[in-house]
Amino acid sequence: MKKTIHFKLNGEKTSMDVAPNDVLLEALRANLGAKSPKCGCDRGDCGTCTVMINGRAVRSCLILAVEVEGCEILTLEGVSKGRIAALQRSFVKHNSFQCGFCAPGMIMSLTELLNHKPTPTEEEVKEAISGNLCRCTGYTQIVEGVMDPAVSKKR
Amino acid sequence: MPIATEFEYFAPASVRETVGLLSKFKDKARLLAGGTDLIVQLKEDVSKPQALVDIKRIAPLGGIKVQGKFLRLGALATFTELIESTVIKSKYPILWEAARTVASPGVRNRATVAGNICSAVPSLDSAPALLVYEAVVVIEGPKGSRQIPFASFITGPRRTVLAKDELVTAILLPQPGKHCGAYVKLGRYAGEDLAQAGVAVLADAKGAIRAAFCALAPAPLRSAKIEALLSCKKCDAAVMAQACALLERELAPISDIRSSKEYRLHMAGVMLERGLKAACSRLKGEGPDYGKHLI
Amino acid sequence: MNELKVVGHSSERVDSLEKITGAANYVDDLNFGPELLYAYLVESPCAHAEIRKINTAKAERVPGVVKVLTGKDFPLSFGLYMQDRYVLAQDRVRFVGEQVAAVVARDPKIAKRAAALVEVTYKELPPVLNQMDALKKDAPLLHPGLKAYKHVPWFFPKGDTNIAHWRKTRKGDTEKGFKQADFVFEDVYTVPRYAHCAIEVHGAVGLYDASGRLTVWTASQSPYTQRNVFAEALSPLGISHKDVRVITPYVGGGFGGKAGVSMEILGAAFATKFKGKPVKVMWNRAQEFYNTYQRQGVEAHLKVGMKRDGRITAVEHLLYWDAGAYVEYGANVVNAVGLSATGPYKVDNIKIDSLCIYTNLPPGGPYRGFGYSEFCFGMESHLTRIAKKLRMDPIEIRLKNAIKGGDTLAYGAHMNPNGLSKAIEEVSKEIGWGKKEQSSDPDKVIGKSFACFWKAPAMPPNASSSAFIKFNEDASLNIMVSGMEIGQGLLTSMAQIASEILTVPVSKIRVETPDTDRNPYEWQTVGSHVTWGCGNAVKKAAIDCREQILDLVHRTLHLERESLYLEDEAVKSRTKPGWELPLKNFVIPGIQAEDFTFKGGPIMGRGVFMPEFTSAISDPETSQGGHPNVHYTTGASGLTLEIDRRTGRMKVLKVVLAADVGKAINPDLIRGQVVGGMLQGLATVLYEDMRFDAKGRMLNPNFTDYKIPTVMDAPVETKTIIIEVPQPDGPYGARGVGEHTMIPAAPLIANAIEDALGVRITSMPITAEKVVAALKKEGKL
Repeated sequence: MKKTIHFKLNGEKTSMDVAPNDVLLEALRANLGAKSPKCGCDRGDCGTCTVMINGRAVRSCLILAVEVEGCEILTLEGVSKGRIAALQRSFVKHNSFQCGFCAPGMIMSLTELLNHKPTPTEEEVKEAISGNLCRCTGYTQIVEGVMDPAVSKKR
Repeated sequence: MPIATEFEYFAPASVRETVGLLSKFKDKARLLAGGTDLIVQLKEDVSKPQALVDIKRIAPLGGIKVQGKFLRLGALATFTELIESTVIKSKYPILWEAARTVASPGVRNRATVAGNICSAVPSLDSAPALLVYEAVVVIEGPKGSRQIPFASFITGPRRTVLAKDELVTAILLPQPGKHCGAYVKLGRYAGEDLAQAGVAVLADAKGAIRAAFCALAPAPLRSAKIEALLSCKKCDAAVMAQACALLERELAPISDIRSSKEYRLHMAGVMLERGLKAACSRLKGEGPDYGKHLI
Repeated sequence: MNELKVVGHSSERVDSLEKITGAANYVDDLNFGPELLYAYLVESPCAHAEIRKINTAKAERVPGVVKVLTGKDFPLSFGLYMQDRYVLAQDRVRFVGEQVAAVVARDPKIAKRAAALVEVTYKELPPVLNQMDALKKDAPLLHPGLKAYKHVPWFFPKGDTNIAHWRKTRKGDTEKGFKQADFVFEDVYTVPRYAHCAIEVHGAVGLYDASGRLTVWTASQSPYTQRNVFAEALSPLGISHKDVRVITPYVGGGFGGKAGVSMEILGAAFATKFKGKPVKVMWNRAQEFYNTYQRQGVEAHLKVGMKRDGRITAVEHLLYWDAGAYVEYGANVVNAVGLSATGPYKVDNIKIDSLCIYTNLPPGGPYRGFGYSEFCFGMESHLTRIAKKLRMDPIEIRLKNAIKGGDTLAYGAHMNPNGLSKAIEEVSKEIGWGKKEQSSDPDKVIGKSFACFWKAPAMPPNASSSAFIKFNEDASLNIMVSGMEIGQGLLTSMAQIASEILTVPVSKIRVETPDTDRNPYEWQTVGSHVTWGCGNAVKKAAIDCREQILDLVHRTLHLERESLYLEDEAVKSRTKPGWELPLKNFVIPGIQAEDFTFKGGPIMGRGVFMPEFTSAISDPETSQGGHPNVHYTTGASGLTLEIDRRTGRMKVLKVVLAADVGKAINPDLIRGQVVGGMLQGLATVLYEDMRFDAKGRMLNPNFTDYKIPTVMDAPVETKTIIIEVPQPDGPYGARGVGEHTMIPAAPLIANAIEDALGVRITSMPITAEKVVAALKKEGKL
């Protein structure tokens, strides 16, 4: 039943044995120890499982592991591997998180945005995280964190 | 939540191979494209297939490109591709506006328009726009290819004309003339929500109006009577009052936990009016920009 | 007082790097090795039924299933304030979704598949789905054994009824008060149930090892309370407190939902059946909605008498709470409201009845605000309505009645010093009170509103806090507390307090999340009390360290004790300018004396805080005689609301909240509480709502249909105003503010709608649809 799939995780070639009904989120967490994507709602509503596949932020709870054969996956572990990104530093400065549970998903969604639009408008920032639920912050400090000139230089 | 159902996974390389698998497994197979609906159904045991047929490896099903007199949305075209397409934004702005109201970017990056119409839910956001653009659905099956108007594709809540061994391979959009329009969506709040009501309005340069609705009847619908009433008229209070009265007869909203039928109907009138107003002022080159919420 | 260098300033969070890199571990992130077992629950499909038979044979035959557990395996009841809850249902189920059996397997998929094969035979009983129905004479009894349940001495269950607790508060003479009034105003306000919706669901992993010790990892606000409840519930198995260890890593949001013990009992109890193998129970989002705690619904009958000059003469508040199937924690919410349901006003004649009523809906329990949001909806709506009738300014009425330090509270004790009047004035200025605003859109109108709030921590009178501080070789610190970091920034404010005293920078302080084997006692992280309680303990522990340090320097270096002080991580002397001894030189190795011996040793401080002035014992008929609340945090808020009069859709243009926090240990963290708490509050009034069908099944146990706000739904502007009238017994004068920030949200919306449209809505939530219906009813649309 199990099948070996090959893909890149955070820049490194990797493989794992998965059953057809294994969900990507759980496979990344259980098989490869990538625990930053988390399960919040299990049906795509909350965004805390967000990872990037081939440069696009997606819900890893709505994807089967077998689907990512040959793909490039990036999780917050990969974003944090080198130096701490300007967005992450700005999140610290602006108190853009509280309990921290939504932070990995938020950062992945915003990383996709900043990759495509290095100087987003406030509306674009809101649009990018409109599917990432945060129950603690009230979002204001998250938006402030992205709009900090150190993150998005020109407006 | 784990998926407890065990199934085989197939990633066919061609439409023919796909049709072969569908013919073999019939209603025990499910097609997988974006998966944003299907995976939830698998987790919640709503769907218990024996085979999952992932069509994402079939390259010809991708892309948004001109094909003769049509713009062809491949079955794998995601809502994000739609939103990022300059052709869609300039030539089919109502569809573009509707696409922006579907779920959130993380879902739109994966969810396909074809998958959306195959779900055939009454609240289908893409439906009103596809109706006013008179889209055509391309279907492949064991007997070959057939095309049917989108208007007759959905037969009821979660029901389509698709046979068990058929799949949608593309959606074709005829080239519209000069027009403007609007998609107005009612959700419970400003954030992501399923449509409690959706209204698309298209106004062409001559003043002809097209209007279509979702979440206001068992299936999305376009109303010829409403269109006849509104076309080539100044939409003043008297006409709008007539339109609201007509909506009561044309639409059949339900009450559920998302909204009551009374509110849905009330809002349909307001949304139609505001959609018309936006469409007409857009036609004059005035705002509001596409993508701005009209309610 | 010397100028504060760290306390009162915003400081980078001590948990920041872990949280923004994904390194922070939550309970589901922990690794337990290949022996890990998974439990999947079999749940009741009935709201009320007798369990006739459970057939587990088919499920047990599934390969990979280790065991199927039922109520027979755990004839144990538990509960925080009243022991009315069971690990697994015994002979009866009382809500849809109640845990009846559990399949434990080596793989979660197998457990889920096998759980579908467990056959339970029920005999359905008539359910009671509404608290008012539960009071009827012929209502079915949910807990025939109520009289025998163990409970705290301040609860008053009424045997042979569905009333689990009735808090009565009587002060003065309300009849006389109403006679003195020029105007008596009565109405009924209803509030439905709500869910906390922390993004992290509940989870627990238990491991009962071969030696008989039980370790439970939980997502919890209450590690010590859990240890206590686990040890008590499992004591028939020979388990004592020393055998139980609760470890709580970071928690992905609490809001009260992860206080006490709900599903965590399963992790603890199940583990005892599988020696040596950890057992994991993770809730899914649906279970998170229907089987943890829910915020209780209430029907509140409110009667207020007022003089023409705006003075309140009497308040009668009768609150019927829909407390659900088990009230072991929720009854204390009812109790707290029964003591405080006047709002922050000086009232001479008070009659409050707060009734905790069993229903066949999921268990009620603590939720940020602990009942105060619920009664505040009525009270603050009421005051604005009365002001309108009397043609008075609603702010003037509140100022006139605002409670002051020393005023007598409903239960006879005295009010703490507070800055309520100042808060009212500041909000009034900031919101531009009296200035009418107009929308440029002819379909839109703008309303303004005002509401006050107060809240006291609801704690047992002996809820205490404690702290250890230990120095490391480089004079960095580890602080050990069992106050829980649930996002509010507790770890950071504790570091700031220690930093202030010990002069070690916050960046050199690590504050550990709790492990009951290592970190000292804290009752629970609830009630907005840990900054105050735990903060006091940390402050004492830091002072303990400082005194040890100064004593040692005095004793070994013969410097005058009174001249010594700490500055910049060193000991200095006022009489020897220029001399300093860096802390890192001696806090572990000690100080070398002239004879080359070493004195001192590792510096470790301890601090304990107990509110020794409180007592929960009072007259059950009047609540007079005790001192149940430590203090109240008070404040005021104002809001500007734009409403589309044709669609009913609303947009909060500005909301202002002023809270008297005593002393802001970290102003940025307080702003975080205000902005986040206010949005949570606004959501409860604008669109959140738990829905149940006629059989007691929850209709929206997911974020698709239980809408919590997205970034698109935040107010255009949320303004925080910090008022600082010190709390005499608080650390640097601080008192809590975590819950208060959502309390006034509902009346703010209701009052703003009336201001803008002239319609009054008295039931929550106040959706766009409800506004349109109200306008239509009044012929305004």
